[in-house]
Amino acid sequence: MKLALREMRRRPSRFVTATVILSLIAALLMLLGGLLDGLIQSSTGALRAQQAQAVVYSSTSQASLVRSRIDPDVRQAVEQIPGVTAVGGLGSAQLGARVPGNGPRDLADVALFGYELPPEGVPDPPAAGQAYADEILKADGVTEGMTIQLGPARTPVEIVGFVRDTTYNGQGSLWASAATWRSVLAANRPDAQLAEGVFQALIVQGDADIAGRIDEATGGATESLTVTEAVNAIPGVREQQSTFNQIIGVTIVIALVVIALFFALLTVERSGMYGVLKALGARSGTLFSGVVVQAVVVTAIASVLAAVLMVVLDAIIPPGSIPLQITPVRIVLSAVLLLLAAIAGCLFSLRRVLRVDPASAIGTTV
Amino acid sequence: MFLALKEMARSKVRFGLLVAAIALLVFLILFQQSLQNGLITGFIGAIRNQSSPVLVYSVDGQRVIQGSILTPDLEAAARGVEGVGEVGRIGQGTFTALPTAERLGGASETFDTTVIGYDLGDDGRGLGSPAALSAGRYPTADNEAVASSSDQASGFDVGDTIRILPGDEVITIVGLADDAQLNVTPTLFASYATYEAAVASANPDAKGVLPNVLAMAPAEGTSPEQLVANVNAASPDLDALTRADAEANTPGVSQVRQSFQLIFLLYGLVVPCVTGLFFLIVTFQKANTLTLLRAVGAPSSRLVGSLLTQVALILGSGIALGALLYYPVSQQRLGGIQLRFETSAAIFWAVLLLVLGVGSALLAARRVLAIDPIEATTGAGVGR
Repeated sequence: MKLALREMRRRPSRFVTATVILSLIAALLMLLGGLLDGLIQSSTGALRAQQAQAVVYSSTSQASLVRSRIDPDVRQAVEQIPGVTAVGGLGSAQLGARVPGNGPRDLADVALFGYELPPEGVPDPPAAGQAYADEILKADGVTEGMTIQLGPARTPVEIVGFVRDTTYNGQGSLWASAATWRSVLAANRPDAQLAEGVFQALIVQGDADIAGRIDEATGGATESLTVTEAVNAIPGVREQQSTFNQIIGVTIVIALVVIALFFALLTVERSGMYGVLKALGARSGTLFSGVVVQAVVVTAIASVLAAVLMVVLDAIIPPGSIPLQITPVRIVLSAVLLLLAAIAGCLFSLRRVLRVDPASAIGTTV
Repeated sequence: MFLALKEMARSKVRFGLLVAAIALLVFLILFQQSLQNGLITGFIGAIRNQSSPVLVYSVDGQRVIQGSILTPDLEAAARGVEGVGEVGRIGQGTFTALPTAERLGGASETFDTTVIGYDLGDDGRGLGSPAALSAGRYPTADNEAVASSSDQASGFDVGDTIRILPGDEVITIVGLADDAQLNVTPTLFASYATYEAAVASANPDAKGVLPNVLAMAPAEGTSPEQLVANVNAASPDLDALTRADAEANTPGVSQVRQSFQLIFLLYGLVVPCVTGLFFLIVTFQKANTLTLLRAVGAPSSRLVGSLLTQVALILGSGIALGALLYYPVSQQRLGGIQLRFETSAAIFWAVLLLVLGVGSALLAARRVLAIDPIEATTGAGVGR
């Protein structure tokens, strides 16, 4: 093992190109993972924040908020189910917001939510005409105390505070009372307005297994999902996860092949040396450990370089251009996957190390 | 040349691993190229392949058709602009739809389905209709529609009927249009009245359906660009775009392109790096042999030729294998996205990667050219 590390110190140049290639692959892994995380986070925050055991949609809505409508009698049926402790209505409206100080065509994309049960990190519903804003809207110039105008009817809404990680479909969210949401919807989207007491969805708190019982109690009028299921039901989320994970998987296989290739070449080059070392008593296991150590070191250095590159990239990418979300978890996960690929890649060299005959040391030029 | 091929035959694992790495990289690049194009086409195909040269949104819509609402005063302002030839209303919504074709064997899978309502005109080819059909005819009455052809297997074929849920609104498919999806969902082009009925069916509380967008054609002597400028000058709340701009400026399209470009750049860099490194190491390992060959009279050009032959063969095999892997995948659907084999993209990447790969091997070629035959007597070779 010491020999392997000494070789890397004494002849770093032979490992530089492999490190550069692996850095590119590690950067690719982190970029793909960061894009996936960014897309999912910006689409799902408003639902992830819900503190609920079930999110209830109407059965024909395909778990889409804008297509769902829950009438008061359905809500009443849900409230009467044993094990239900609290039920709150939820509604949304996606609109353009005019922000004071911005140009007349420079609108902010917002998703206004009317809620009764506060999501995690969101206070109780504010007074009529007021809303909490997701902090992502600060990038559009929204500040606390400011009154913004929503939709073509320019409905005024005062921002009374900020919340975090509640974006929806890539839009900054606003959290207002049900009455505020209903009046904004009626004024700006007459085709989507809902009658008094009707909500798009219900947020239900209670027993952990309540979701299944709700649909039974409503006679199939509802589709009840856990929060995780509701998040995955947002159009595109499941497809994005599956596609990106497949691409990440193939990229890891590429890393494995590249590492296998590089160390197979190095092992061929060292065959004579290994013969001498074996003749002096070194075991195959020791020699192979050296290969693995070198692969791990090269991969670790590549992962660090890639992480730095991604953090810099994340910092310089203008907000709103690419949905990149670089997190420590993603960096560590990518590095671990790459390290596993490195170790697996080294196995290609194992056969050659085992095949080296100590007798070959006699009469060979090392 | 003979030696180059012989060497490759003798070192199958080494060269095989390199071919595998290049093949996987090429496969991923081509797959993602298809994914990018399929995603964008599925996202905005209905805008790209509709007949209206100019689309007028409200600024509030942020260039999303469904997000745009044209109030009566805004509609009047747009219609009154100088240079307007023909105008039609467009309404768009996403609905839950149940295909009811008998051939589906009673299947009850529902789909998120986009309904685009437009003023049909006399022959169903009003502004906003699909620019061309691949089968069937244009709708000429309410509750008839042209569907995006990529969804015909899901129950959106000519003659099939679609029920909008909740409610009893039924739409019959009378034609198909290629690359005509919006928001990566099955898309129906129907009369404006059909769209209004679908909205009322899905939401009984709806009070009046306003058009989302106006489809416009310029009057004779006015260009689409001039018409766009005239509309935008008429009101700061109107946002007119040519068809190409409407397609390119739909939120998400440029982000998708930028994200994929970054990914392509990194994958594109890995291929020449791996190829260059491989042949550099192999050249170092063959140092003594190459020196001996030079000493017995082999010209440098032949050795470099052998090297470049190997590079070209490896890259060619990797690219061909990658394209072969990509072909069956490119015939599939990924969720709502229709992938397809992109011949021009395959040729572009094949040429680019071949040039970059051969270019990266020039470092190894330089080493070969630097061999001095006299070193056969000292044992120094190219590896010194």
